[in-house]
Amino acid sequence: MKKPLNRFLIKVLLFALILTVFFETLFRLGFAPIVTNSTFFDQKMLAVQKQSIKNVKLLAMGSSVALYELNSKIIARHIELPYYNFASWGLQITDTKALLTSFVSRYHPRYVILCSSIGDFITPRNETYLNYVNACDFIKNDMPECFYFTNYNSVYQVVRRKLITYPIALDQWGGASLSIKEINKDKWNEHNIFPTRYTPGNYLALESLASFLKTQKVKLIFIQVPLKKSYANTHQSQRLLSWHFERCRSIVEAQGGTYLNYYNTAVFADNLFTDQYHLLNEGSIILTKEILRDLKGIVR
Amino acid sequence: MLFTSFTFVLFFILVFLLYWFIFNRTYKLQNAFILAASCVFYAWWDWRFLLLLIATSALSYFLGLGMDKSKTEKQRRLLLSIGLLQGLGCLAFFKYFNFLVSSFNSLFSVFNIRPDLPTLNIMFPLGISFYTFRTLSYLLDIKSGKIRAASDWVAFFSYVSFFPCLISGPIDRPKTLIPQLEKQRVFDYGMAADGMRQILWGLFKKIVIADNCASFTNEIVNHYTTLPASALLFGAFLFTIQVYADFSGYSDMAIGLSSLLGFRVTRNFNTPFFAQNIAEFWRRWHISLTSWLTDYVFTPLAIYFRNYGKLGLIFAITINFTLIGLWHGANWTFILFGFLNGCYFIPLILQGGVNKQKKNTGSLKVFISTLGTFALVMFTFILFRADSLQQALGYYRRLFSVSLFSGFAITEKVNTITTIAAIALMFWVEWQQRDKQHALQINLTGRPVLRALIYLGLIFFILSFSATKNRDFIYFNF
Repeated sequence: MKKPLNRFLIKVLLFALILTVFFETLFRLGFAPIVTNSTFFDQKMLAVQKQSIKNVKLLAMGSSVALYELNSKIIARHIELPYYNFASWGLQITDTKALLTSFVSRYHPRYVILCSSIGDFITPRNETYLNYVNACDFIKNDMPECFYFTNYNSVYQVVRRKLITYPIALDQWGGASLSIKEINKDKWNEHNIFPTRYTPGNYLALESLASFLKTQKVKLIFIQVPLKKSYANTHQSQRLLSWHFERCRSIVEAQGGTYLNYYNTAVFADNLFTDQYHLLNEGSIILTKEILRDLKGIVR
Repeated sequence: MLFTSFTFVLFFILVFLLYWFIFNRTYKLQNAFILAASCVFYAWWDWRFLLLLIATSALSYFLGLGMDKSKTEKQRRLLLSIGLLQGLGCLAFFKYFNFLVSSFNSLFSVFNIRPDLPTLNIMFPLGISFYTFRTLSYLLDIKSGKIRAASDWVAFFSYVSFFPCLISGPIDRPKTLIPQLEKQRVFDYGMAADGMRQILWGLFKKIVIADNCASFTNEIVNHYTTLPASALLFGAFLFTIQVYADFSGYSDMAIGLSSLLGFRVTRNFNTPFFAQNIAEFWRRWHISLTSWLTDYVFTPLAIYFRNYGKLGLIFAITINFTLIGLWHGANWTFILFGFLNGCYFIPLILQGGVNKQKKNTGSLKVFISTLGTFALVMFTFILFRADSLQQALGYYRRLFSVSLFSGFAITEKVNTITTIAAIALMFWVEWQQRDKQHALQINLTGRPVLRALIYLGLIFFILSFSATKNRDFIYFNF
């Protein structure tokens, strides 16, 4: 019986080998597996894997505001702790919470800087991030090719994803700077409705995130980034904004975190913005310097 | 653990290696391992229902032994009644209770009486319709003297819970599977290789055709009130293909996996879309279920009504098919689906053509009959897909309108083209291979390279154009 069984296994292995070579070639040609429905996040995690990031003591997190508004060079120059910015486009607080559980267990940071704007509190959670969160560390760190199988997508979809992906230029700390040329103003300059029916869920996620970090003995530094003056130009929108700031502050401080608010339309004038939420490179330099000044004595 | 999931692939590789390398010494060891693997497989969905599966198997096992030993017919009948009561009772409770209650409430509300009986929040145990039919056929066969009760409880439990066929069949009869469990399985290269080919074909049908069709049909059914009739016709066509590709794909994989473990399992589909009339269609569609109901429901009914001639046969067939419909789910749409299929037999019964075996010569007349049968099946499958009778009626009403001749927009052009190409490929291959046990039984002895290229070609087609979303098998709901 052993002989035909071995013959069978050899043939099956041969087919498996052909498939493995095929997928490895696909991977090396840059047609990366689809893990989440965020092309940016997938690209960024691949960059993290390629850079073999292992030691991160100061971890930045959040949506595009965290990505563009924390100037990596300035932070790296002034803070002597290993730093990396894991922020990604479109992350809601619920997504950030899910991803942070994974990042904290992998990198054991001492501080988490969470840059946030009200745009992070308006849409439902993106379940596809769980494909990444739930994957084992071996796949994330050493063999991202396995995502071809664990999160199966057809080759057609993989190729299509590569063709539609917007190329990103990350610095060595995972940050990026924003120039006005990159922005499709019509698409970006939206004035999001706030609050939405998903806002309470995001506050709950912030509460859970802050409490999780506390149990992990990680200091949370919550940064409310500036907004364009025109964003809140009515009494009603000002009132909503103040209410939101107060809500975030109370949640963060209740769990021993630090809350810093940089909403200041006098310092951050409209010419420093690309749209309602995102600062231009000049604006991000000013903001980062202000943050670093306030972090003295908090981050050691 | 879907057959198409990465978890199942890992699970099966482990089972296969342990089965053939460690537990292959005696058939008892093989059975014990099959039983353990089946329990893990089932518990993966919900371990609580594993207890129900074990309890059902245990009761049937002891009832079978009791029937075998009992000396009087009365005792045997009593034991059988207990088994039927338990099996059908569980089915009625888990599958039909809420349907019966809501139908009862609706019926009385017509007369302005509101009984308002409460429905229960009942979870549906996966595969209950399939394993209940296995245990029932076991008891019924013992009662009729076709088989003796199994003396080895591990073999019997393995028969009931055999994991490749546990969730969605095929519903193997005890006389097919139990004898295979009572002797040692020896690895057979030809059988295993054939199993792999059948799995490959099943995978192609499931993840390329059925799952891609599903994305279109879901869109069409969800927006049928705003779409033209031509789109609804396209939706009905795709849904018919989807059900076939989904269920026959699952069955192919189940049979292929069984072959890899050394078991020959009942064929479940035999190119039903090439049938020339509805009787032939049902002889080729979900064969294990239709033959089960033919043996245990239709035949006794036909004998009971034999004095009524053709009318008796019509009664028997209509009741049989209504039950087939009801087996599929607790909804009036399924009951009507079954009843209509039974009605389609009436012209055949009147002409005396129910059991006539038609040769598939490929002539124009045959083509027209085949097309007509397909159209009939397709229109009835609208009921199968609809969530309610109102939705089905709305769909039919809109389908038969002037917009049948208008065009409709297709957004996912590449997906549409590849799905239609895959359907055409399936029809072509199945037509070419219609005399074989499955479509990939290619006779190319002595040309291993060509064979390997065909398999690789199919593998790459699957990898390239399979649906992005991995969907549950439709028959998991039944």
